[in-house]
Amino acid sequence: MKQAVLSIDGLRQAVQSLPDDALTAAREAALASIGTQGLPTVRHEDWKYTDLSSAIDISNRWLADGANTESAATPADTVKSIMASIDANWLVIANGIVDLTHFVESSGIKIERFSDSAAPLVMERPLADLNVALLRDGLRIQIHAETEKPLGVLIVDETSAAATVSQANVEIEVAAGCNAEIVEYQSSSGGGDHYGNSVVVLKIGQAANASYVRIQDRRIGHVHTGRISVTLGADSQLHMAGYDLGGGLVRNDVDIDLSEPGAAATVNGLYLAGDGQHIDNHTRVDHRVGPASSSQEYRGILNGRCRCVWNGKAIVHKGADGTDARQTNHNLLLSDKAEIDTKPQLEIYADDVKCSHGTTVGQLDEAALFYLRTRGLDRRQATQILTHAFAADLVSRTPVTATRDAITALVESRLAELITDNVS
Amino acid sequence: MLEVINLKSRVGDTEILRGLSLSVNAGEVHAIMGPNGSGKSTLAQVIAGNDDYVVTGGEVIYKGNNLLDLKPEERAREGIFLGFQYPVEIPGVNNAYLLKAAVNAKRKHQGLGEVDAFEFLKLAREKMAVLGMDPKFLNRGVNEGFSGGEKKRNEILQMAMLEPSLAILDETDSGLDIDALKAVAEGVNKLRHPDRAIVLVTHYQRMLDYVEPDFVHVLSEGKIVRSGDKTLALELEEKGYEWVREAANG
Ligand SMILES: Nc1ncnc2c1ncn2[C@@H]1O[C@H](COP(=O)(O)OP(=O)(O)OP(=O)(O)O)[C@@H](O)[C@H]1O
Ligand SMILES: [Mg+2]
Repeated sequence: MKQAVLSIDGLRQAVQSLPDDALTAAREAALASIGTQGLPTVRHEDWKYTDLSSAIDISNRWLADGANTESAATPADTVKSIMASIDANWLVIANGIVDLTHFVESSGIKIERFSDSAAPLVMERPLADLNVALLRDGLRIQIHAETEKPLGVLIVDETSAAATVSQANVEIEVAAGCNAEIVEYQSSSGGGDHYGNSVVVLKIGQAANASYVRIQDRRIGHVHTGRISVTLGADSQLHMAGYDLGGGLVRNDVDIDLSEPGAAATVNGLYLAGDGQHIDNHTRVDHRVGPASSSQEYRGILNGRCRCVWNGKAIVHKGADGTDARQTNHNLLLSDKAEIDTKPQLEIYADDVKCSHGTTVGQLDEAALFYLRTRGLDRRQATQILTHAFAADLVSRTPVTATRDAITALVESRLAELITDNVS
Repeated sequence: MLEVINLKSRVGDTEILRGLSLSVNAGEVHAIMGPNGSGKSTLAQVIAGNDDYVVTGGEVIYKGNNLLDLKPEERAREGIFLGFQYPVEIPGVNNAYLLKAAVNAKRKHQGLGEVDAFEFLKLAREKMAVLGMDPKFLNRGVNEGFSGGEKKRNEILQMAMLEPSLAILDETDSGLDIDALKAVAEGVNKLRHPDRAIVLVTHYQRMLDYVEPDFVHVLSEGKIVRSGDKTLALELEEKGYEWVREAANG
């Protein structure tokens, strides 16, 4: 298939139709950046396995149809049930529109709208630029004291039209010495095609400790691209875990910048993919100084005709001595139609470093399956138990405790869908 | 209960069982002995339904039905239990969870509702006490990091909870210390019942001192070459397998 090209004229019209506010200049700059760079194609090394054509196609149809950003109403039921499943203080971005009505004012958190204050950063990264160009509004959040509940960011879309596109953009600053728990939850529903694109910028202050959980449970078939860029202050910590359960074409980019000594970042992820899904996780950790450590552990369970990509890059820059960088990626392939491209990548320009990586791609342990069956469990039940065990470790180690039950339930129900009677 | 008739089986290209016949009635305890590699575990695995072993001839009738038509889980639910010579470690799967799922699978098959969680735990703890197992083993991964003897006790715990009609214990006595051997033997003796049968695969007389067999068979090169009562085991202990082989060939 020939790769689709984004309509820049359509995009320009859409950008110009947005209200004139504090975001205007950033939108224009972002638009200009896309105009010169375009969106990535499979010819870009980082996009080799992930063709954005479906995202571009949905965008073009939406642009041609007037780029309406205020069509559907907030999906109240979805919002309600998600809020009930995780006890957090929720900010909602529904169909790209910021909704602060569920948020309970808290002395530890300060929130500003981009439209009221300064605009977000233009990153000169194509999808982030697309995000800013089309952004209706976003949030700048400062967490300066520990709060009772985690901060929740619920990005939810309800589609009714044939093709819709929405953007979410949040900047979170965790003040020096502060402990913060953050949950990003992405959900979508409705019959039409949808493309959701999000950008999160997380700045962790000196000696602060941020725990970040990302749950992506979009409708199977909906397109999602998301970027999370994190900078860590001296002696700070990041504990991040992402759980990808839904979506059609999914691409997550997590960039971690370790520019100050003593910082430690853990970035874990779990992806469950079935028929028609394409889930791509790209991480990049820049070790610019030492000592600092990073650890990545991703696991995937794939069944049916699907493809997953894991690319974990760690760059140890010159002078970043005392770096400790680890990465692992383990995959369970339950179908011969499932495909995984796993690529750990270490680039080391410093001398005194400890680096390790390991990836595995395997099937279920037949001996374990047989053992379970001799105890009376049928093949499907035995498969579910074994796949669940494969995922359970990452689920129980979710860095935000308040999310554990919800993630357990989501993983269980997704596995029940994925592991059908005809597992091979 | 179990009728094995002229059973032949191979794994890959190797013929392992070469026309094995064995008849086990309810209420009986059978011991199967024989040199390493003679096919004892193969017989046990074939009866449990391991499809790595291809049956190339013969029949296995269990409770009047063709056993070989059934899937492993169906055999288990019909009351067959295999205590593995090498129990499989399944990290991340909770031991109590498996035990309960196994009990419930059988109950469902019998048209019964799920076991009450409280009753289940109480029963499991009782059985563990008999086997000298610390209750903390319930919360560990199935056989995960268990010592050899702990794995064997865990097999017996599963058997005790499932109360099978036919228990095949493949060298469950190997690798046990003296106390564990007694505990396991007690577990096996508790299962003895006019409606049940037990097949013990063993290399040692010691187990048979505690669990007295009604019949002892010697398996060699894929066939039963001699059968007798419990005195056969004593004779083997004294004279070794060479004696049976010679007797069989001559
Ligand atoms: N999966 C397999 N692949 C190849 N050969 C096998 C396999 N399983 C069993 N065999 C062979 O079949 C023969 C019988 O093995 P089996 O395990 O049944 O012996 P056994 O009587 O139980 O021995 P032991 O007393 O040592 O437990 C052996 O020669 C063994 O190597
Ligand atoms: Mg054996």
